Amino acid sequence: MSILESVELALKNIVSSKTRTLLTMLGIIIGVAAVIVIVGLGNGLEGYVAGSFSDMGTNTLTVTVMSRGSTRSLSVDEMYEIVAENSQYLDLCSPTVNMMGYVKIGSETLSSTSSMGVSEDYFGISGDTVAKGRGLQYSDIANRSKVCVIGAFLDQAYFGGNAVGETLRVGGTSLTIVGVLAQSGERLEEGGADDCLYLPYSTASRISGEISSYVVTMRDEDHIDESVDALERALYAVFASDSYYTVTSMAEMLETMTSMINILVGVLAGIAAISLVVGGIGIMNIMLVSVTERTREIGIRKSLGAKERCIMQQFVIEAACTSALGGITGILIGRGLSVLASRVVTRLMGETLTVSPTAAAVGMAFGISVGIGILFGYLPAKNAHVR
Amino acid sequence: MKALIEFQQVCKYYYMGDDTVVAADHISFQVFKGEFVAIVGQSGSGKSTCMNIIGCLDVPSEGTYLLDGRDVGQMDKDELAEIRNELLGFIFQQYNLLPKLNLLENVEVPLMYAGVPKRERRERAKIALEMVGLGDKIKHKPNELSGGQQQRVSIARALVGEPAVILADEPTGALDSRTGREVLGILQELHAAGHTVVLITHDNSIAVQAQRIIRLEDGHVLYDGPSDAPEAVVTPRAAGMGGVPS
Ligand SMILES: Nc1ncnc2c1ncn2[C@@H]1O[C@H](COP(=O)(O)OP(=O)(O)O)[C@@H](O)[C@H]1O
Ligand SMILES: [Mg+2]
Repeated sequence: MSILESVELALKNIVSSKTRTLLTMLGIIIGVAAVIVIVGLGNGLEGYVAGSFSDMGTNTLTVTVMSRGSTRSLSVDEMYEIVAENSQYLDLCSPTVNMMGYVKIGSETLSSTSSMGVSEDYFGISGDTVAKGRGLQYSDIANRSKVCVIGAFLDQAYFGGNAVGETLRVGGTSLTIVGVLAQSGERLEEGGADDCLYLPYSTASRISGEISSYVVTMRDEDHIDESVDALERALYAVFASDSYYTVTSMAEMLETMTSMINILVGVLAGIAAISLVVGGIGIMNIMLVSVTERTREIGIRKSLGAKERCIMQQFVIEAACTSALGGITGILIGRGLSVLASRVVTRLMGETLTVSPTAAAVGMAFGISVGIGILFGYLPAKNAHVR
Repeated sequence: MKALIEFQQVCKYYYMGDDTVVAADHISFQVFKGEFVAIVGQSGSGKSTCMNIIGCLDVPSEGTYLLDGRDVGQMDKDELAEIRNELLGFIFQQYNLLPKLNLLENVEVPLMYAGVPKRERRERAKIALEMVGLGDKIKHKPNELSGGQQQRVSIARALVGEPAVILADEPTGALDSRTGREVLGILQELHAAGHTVVLITHDNSIAVQAQRIIRLEDGHVLYDGPSDAPEAVVTPRAAGMGGVPS
């Protein structure tokens, strides 16, 4: 009897007892769907994190200074000097001052807008381009001008695209909008990449205090370690201690985040995989019952010249077909749930998160379910030929 | 002439705990090609035991069974399956059709295990079903048929592989007397067409339809000879336990 005929026979048997087959497959369906959705979620999360980092570029280093308690402090000029002295590794530098106060436009208070004090070089670092008006200039910094550049979202949502020349307030200070950045996110949305505002760091520090962090770009992304070393050495020279500053590489942070997400997803997928095994045991159960139930059929087939091998093959293929069918159903359901999850997450968080199962995850879930089917079909079938 | 079936001092023991049941006790006989033999005896006399051995479903505990000159006792399970498929056609009391398959598929099963290609299988199964008068019902399921019709399907299935021996175990046991006679008629036709038929029954009136009778009692052969001899149908009690006619 050929394999093809065995498959035909198995499918016939499966179709002739639909309820039982469905119950048998349930574990596999749930397991496969769960693995796919979880891995997809992990991928989406990873993509989201990578996306939010790439806003900043992976060739940047962040320096945070905590000079409280130290007898030394670091001025902006000293920081620029450090960067200039290590110009074989380091390129651009900008202080960054995160503004805690709300942004106010007219009588409206904006709570999701990120506002930051930066230097004239900042847009070169972040890769933003000015679409309307002008960017920040050295004179703005030197004069502590009360000006700002806003993201495309604010321009569209609050000024109808005519923001240049208008004013808004940050932490009680009125700023004149001198420029609008080009759209950088996929969509213009509240809390998105384009819901932002930049002002001169000098102005910002007057509103919210000391300048304590900087972004620095590297000339070469392959020399992360050397660049970090150079910065740290220079900072150590200033503070004579390593407890007042930290240097973080975006690339390394991304790597850390990614590996954390991977561990999380691995654990969750492992839990989902357990349900695959449970599903396999379900198949074994049904196969055992079916073998006992079908001793008569087995006897008849043997009297008609079936070798034990043929009978084994029949049962194993039936189990494999059942679990493969369950696997396929699980994949379809998993994909459906992934699309649904993407929509729900996007709506709830206001962030675009695409839950996308990898082909490898789909293939593995399917392979494992068929493998389980074969294994758990084989064990009772071995039983069958003893009789 | 070489015997098709040859029992040489065949014994079969069943072990039940400490007890040993002697189901076949030094049974010897030969069946030649073209014969129609009935193995007859009361319940428990060892008929099914003989049938299982003849049918290669079981092997002797002692003695030798030669089927078409081949020693069945020396064969492994796969060889037994092959020889069953090749040389034997079974007809059972309970028909033993596979309920999920239609008639055509049921009759195809032995050919499938013989490795006959699908198209030829279809063709041959159809012819076999036409021979037993069910050519118009090939797509029906067994449970849509009467007992007599089901038994005819099982005859078609037994014939389809052109076996050397047709083995019928109480083929009329589950049938009323009229359909039983019909089935016997088919067996007689097969015999007339040159097939070798071994019929197993507890019923003397059916056994006498065969050409030759082997009467069993308690695992012994009590009588082996033509069915029209007066001793052939003597009840075991009347014959007494005195001796075994040769
Ligand atoms: N599988 C078995 N295990 C134990 N005893 C058996 C088995 N099969 C048959 N026997 C015993 O062997 C004897 C012959 O049985 P069997 O060949 O079935 O006789 P018949 O078919 O003529 O009724 C009986 O005593 C029966 O109880
Ligand atoms: Mg019996």
